[in-house]
Amino acid sequence: MNAATTTRRESIGQSPRALPNTSSVPPRSLPNDEQRLLARLRQSDEQAFDELVTKHHGALIRMAMGHVGDREVAEEVVQDTWMAVIESLDRFEGRSSLRTWIFGIMIHKAKDRGVREKRHTTFSDFETFDEEQEDAVDPSRFHRSGEWAGHWAFPPQPWDDQTPERLLASQQAVQAMNRAIEALPVTLKDVLILRDVEGVEAKQVCDILQITETNLYVRLHRARERVRRAVETYLEGCQRAV
Amino acid sequence: MAHDASQSVHEEITCREVVEWTSAYLDAHVGEDRKQQIALHLAACAGCGAYVGQIASVRDLVRLLPQTVDSPSESEQVRQAVAAKLRRQ
Ligand SMILES: [Zn+2]
Repeated sequence: MNAATTTRRESIGQSPRALPNTSSVPPRSLPNDEQRLLARLRQSDEQAFDELVTKHHGALIRMAMGHVGDREVAEEVVQDTWMAVIESLDRFEGRSSLRTWIFGIMIHKAKDRGVREKRHTTFSDFETFDEEQEDAVDPSRFHRSGEWAGHWAFPPQPWDDQTPERLLASQQAVQAMNRAIEALPVTLKDVLILRDVEGVEAKQVCDILQITETNLYVRLHRARERVRRAVETYLEGCQRAV
Repeated sequence: MAHDASQSVHEEITCREVVEWTSAYLDAHVGEDRKQQIALHLAACAGCGAYVGQIASVRDLVRLLPQTVDSPSESEQVRQAVAAKLRRQ
């Protein structure tokens, strides 16, 4: 094995330098539990794979859906991803976390597939998103001129300590939030799912998506704001109903 | 665009700017000057206080949302394909 055999996937966000085949010696840069997991995976431990697949399935499918717009195709993309993971596990160098590497492979495959299946361009998922242009929050909620220019004209109504719990307990609120997430343009959905749903470190999200941190926060904030708006609308509806 | 560093900490920041910086601020991904500027604003502005709190809640909520597409049976096909591939390896 030499540098030339390093897969394109392995080099996501990293320089494509390959180490000698390290399948018996897990990379030192990974935390211990991740090293143990990797060792099991490299022994083709079915249970280890099963746990990993189950753990990431939801997030992988949701993200793939954003790119291909079709549940069945998304399933195929995710399945292809795991096949690639199994095939190239020996070449995984451990300079990113295992999860970053797996999601990176999926994004590659989903993008390829999304380009091939361009017929989905009418999907809201493909809404073009111009992050330089769009304000996160509706500009009409701020004073436009005068002494208070740029300050809230219509500030958000405060939530109390119990609001998050109540939201989670309400099927309607949960549905409103899930719908808002599903309706996000793919560039926003990717960052929200990786950073907030999966809890991937900001730096790793940038590696997976090949974006800058500034970009990440612009997108992440717009995504969160759209979910916040959905909650706000839901709460306004509740108030009117009282 | 709110994401520039040209504004000095002594200048006041508007609510509209605070809003744009919220997620970076919550992740401690803003410079020291900007952080102080935002903290100062938040201490005096109820609207932005509520807004930042809500974005933090949303950040935590999306992780806890029950997923309709996430049940074990949904991943069954993929898990079987993985198991089959491992046995062929
Ligand atoms: Zn304010």
